[in-house]
Amino acid sequence: MVKVNEKVEEELRAIFSGDVPWITIVWDDPVNLMTYVTYVLMELFGFSKEKATELMMKIHTEGKAVVSTGSREEMERDVARIHEFGLWATLQRGDQQ
Amino acid sequence: MSELQKGFYPHGDNAFIANFSESEREVLTNLSEQIIELLAERIDHQSDDPLAAMVGITSHDTPPEDEVLLRLLPNAYSDQVDASEFRRYTESTLRQKKQGHAMAMRSNLIAAIDGVVEIDRDGANDWLGAINDVRLALGVRLKVEENLPEELQLLAPDDPMHGVYAVYSWLGWLQESLLEAVMNGSQ
Repeated sequence: MVKVNEKVEEELRAIFSGDVPWITIVWDDPVNLMTYVTYVLMELFGFSKEKATELMMKIHTEGKAVVSTGSREEMERDVARIHEFGLWATLQRGDQQ
Repeated sequence: MSELQKGFYPHGDNAFIANFSESEREVLTNLSEQIIELLAERIDHQSDDPLAAMVGITSHDTPPEDEVLLRLLPNAYSDQVDASEFRRYTESTLRQKKQGHAMAMRSNLIAAIDGVVEIDRDGANDWLGAINDVRLALGVRLKVEENLPEELQLLAPDDPMHGVYAVYSWLGWLQESLLEAVMNGSQ
């Protein structure tokens, strides 16, 4: 008899639905200037200054923030572009936050 | 460090100017060269596949052992297997892009006449990225994760880290001036 726990069930569902979104997370660090983080988010994602500042503050106060959502390939591209400018980002499945 | 504490300022629609003293120019050129060297490819003894090398695939997929290099080339996944796979396909490109930023900064500094550097918007992005990489590298050595700015400011003048912290702070100030010039210019 096969037994599946909740996690496996979730995994099985994801396999068949195939549309689990992935997310890009930017992490706080003490070196990057707040203005710089805001600028990089504006430049790479086309955010308004208000939106970028809001995300920067979230990163600064909560330690991290989700900056983009999409397919795994899209998130890998976003992470690579963020790393080019020295912010630390990771990607993961959106349901594993 | 400079007589006119001005940093970068906008010049016309799409240009930014800074005036560096000889010692500032020397320090910046030196740092850009060190970043370029640090980011040079790891010698790859395992892969002799020229095609793989051409498209930027390397056989090394472990994170750099050097703490500074790891900060410049961080893991993209918390999962080690995924992180290794991603690194294998992207690390080489990331090194080249970062080297490109530092090389652009170095060229501008070498071409400067009387210490005047003039850059356009793309150049500004090169400078912002390159200055940031230098600050990240210095930040690892200064252990800014653990040490508070107040503690770093109190380093004894004969402590080598005192000078490193002065450069680190000056770079932050310079980067901030360029950010201000670029962000106000684009609105």
